[in-house]
Amino acid sequence: MTTDTRTGSHLVASVLRQELARDPSVILFGEDVARLGGVFGATRQLRREFGDERVFDTPVSETAFVGMAVGAAQAGLRPIVELMFVDFAGVCFDQLANQLAKNHYMAGGRVRLPVVVRAAAGSIGSAAQHSQVLGATFAHFPGLKVIFPGSHGDLQRLLVTAIRDDNPVIFLEHKQLLKARVDGLPLNDARPAGAAVEPEPFGRLRQVRRGSDLTIVTAGWMVQESLTAADALGLRGISAAVADIRTLVPLDRDGLAEVAGQARHLLVVDEDYTSYGMAAEVVCSIAERLGPSGPRMARVGLDVPLPASRPLEDEVLPGSRMITDAAIALVGG
Amino acid sequence: MPVDAYHRAGGLQPWLTQIYQRMVTMRRFEEAIASGSASGQIHGEMHLGIGQESVAAVLAEHLRPADAVVSTHRAHLHALAQGVDPVELLAEVFERDGLNHGKGGHLHLFDPARQFMCTGIVGAGAPIATGYALAQRLRGEDAITVAVSGDGAMNQGAVFEAMNLATVRGLPVLFLVEDNGYSISVPRARSTAGDLIDRARPFGMAAGLCDGRDVEQTDALLGSLLATVRSQRAPAMAVVAVYRFRGHYEGDLDRYRPAGEREQAMSAADDPLQRVRARLLATGIGEAELLKLADVATDNVARWLAAALQRPAPDISSAREGVFAGA
Repeated sequence: MTTDTRTGSHLVASVLRQELARDPSVILFGEDVARLGGVFGATRQLRREFGDERVFDTPVSETAFVGMAVGAAQAGLRPIVELMFVDFAGVCFDQLANQLAKNHYMAGGRVRLPVVVRAAAGSIGSAAQHSQVLGATFAHFPGLKVIFPGSHGDLQRLLVTAIRDDNPVIFLEHKQLLKARVDGLPLNDARPAGAAVEPEPFGRLRQVRRGSDLTIVTAGWMVQESLTAADALGLRGISAAVADIRTLVPLDRDGLAEVAGQARHLLVVDEDYTSYGMAAEVVCSIAERLGPSGPRMARVGLDVPLPASRPLEDEVLPGSRMITDAAIALVGG
Repeated sequence: MPVDAYHRAGGLQPWLTQIYQRMVTMRRFEEAIASGSASGQIHGEMHLGIGQESVAAVLAEHLRPADAVVSTHRAHLHALAQGVDPVELLAEVFERDGLNHGKGGHLHLFDPARQFMCTGIVGAGAPIATGYALAQRLRGEDAITVAVSGDGAMNQGAVFEAMNLATVRGLPVLFLVEDNGYSISVPRARSTAGDLIDRARPFGMAAGLCDGRDVEQTDALLGSLLATVRSQRAPAMAVVAVYRFRGHYEGDLDRYRPAGEREQAMSAADDPLQRVRARLLATGIGEAELLKLADVATDNVARWLAAALQRPAPDISSAREGVFAGA
């Protein structure tokens, strides 16, 4: 295996550079994105290259600067606005759910809001207010596209698509993906350094592993964890497929029905809260399409705020071990 | 306040005449919509600016086509001031296929050709206004953005944040506060610490206040602050005292105001419209001419309303469409 010490954050920065260079109406702002290059390094060097008018730091005021993205988009710019942690969405929820999501519809189509809200999501050991995913919460509002890449390559390609989309896109960057080295993941599909990144259409799930006993459907970092679990399951004689949803909205319902037909069991793994969430939507969609002839289904996830101390976090946070155990219970039972 | 000599280039009487005609038009416009609410042609909550016309009428003097206006739940007059087509506007408010094809209605009016929008979420417009101003800054235009608020909205964190952001980033926003002294039923004294004008001070923002019953004062203030925003490319704040003649919404029993307060505000002495009328008479214009001006305004509104009601109902197949743009 070739060495590639780039991390997900380098990949994001390179896509942002590509798109800022390509289209002068693209601008980028948020907390610590310019001078620091982002707390996860995802916007490194961009201010130096594109200047303070297009890449700038905002005060700590999500309502103001997410609202600013709404107005700037309606005035013809293409803002990329960063929520440092997706958990901070609560601070500016009105601007996201009432303004960003709805203004295009309410205007009868007369305004467009080509805004990308990039937000770091998922666990990093910082407990309940800095570890959430919230994809389903955003997906619940008509008018927001919700993208949750599960691989480095998709992190790049889907970000290009998001920036070029004329609609509001919530782009969830899993912190573990941002941190991980390109050469350190079970699934390594990053574009080579310096290569142009082309867009990948939204609304298509991706089968990343074939299998015949069980289909694992998931998104985000859990894609990588599911691949590790699938290897362990393989050693135990359970052939597990893994499907990466990639885009919660638009959701590939046809693709879900198709992958669900591969095996008699289906496990949905979700790092976001289980109840009333993505996993429920997947199960419901498959059940509606396939009915009683469809697979027996179960969900892996959590319904507690994420605890702080390592042993407690390990107990509740889904990972390859929990996925493996749940798969065995589902298939074996 | 000294009269703005530059602005009076045409003379006081022509200026006052224009303001008066605009204000009568605005009042008739809102009265027509009030009837629509009462009759059930408009089935949602309705918020009218009757009594507050002076602000929008004066603002219209100073707005330019490339300027942006982000307004509130009480937005019709600002829309007219910004040049939104009155027939399109009425059609949308009357739930026909109008300005926004029946999707937004009275609370969510969008006219991108005029950079106009409004929102029913109190305070949410101020952050959005900074975005229009950001685009104006990046494009090197001399256009400005007006963010309209009421006094109640000034307590919303969003407005404070927007003022800070506009100051820090050098954004050409006029924060225009129509202070009518009430947030629905709650008087300002019970909700708002300190004086509104002092809220510009922490930001070092140019600011001023005036009595909205006096159109010349209002014109001097808005003209001066808008010129400042335009030339300095920095935000400013204007607080204009006005009075809301009707309840917060059509159908509001409006029993929370002290006895006599509303009657006084609507009297010839305090109604901004009647005061302009009296000013005009004092400049020598004849009663007959004033009546004629008022009739023209009334006829215009009637004509617009008739045209608006001719518009078809929105296409019901569009109800589930248009959530996302494009392919």
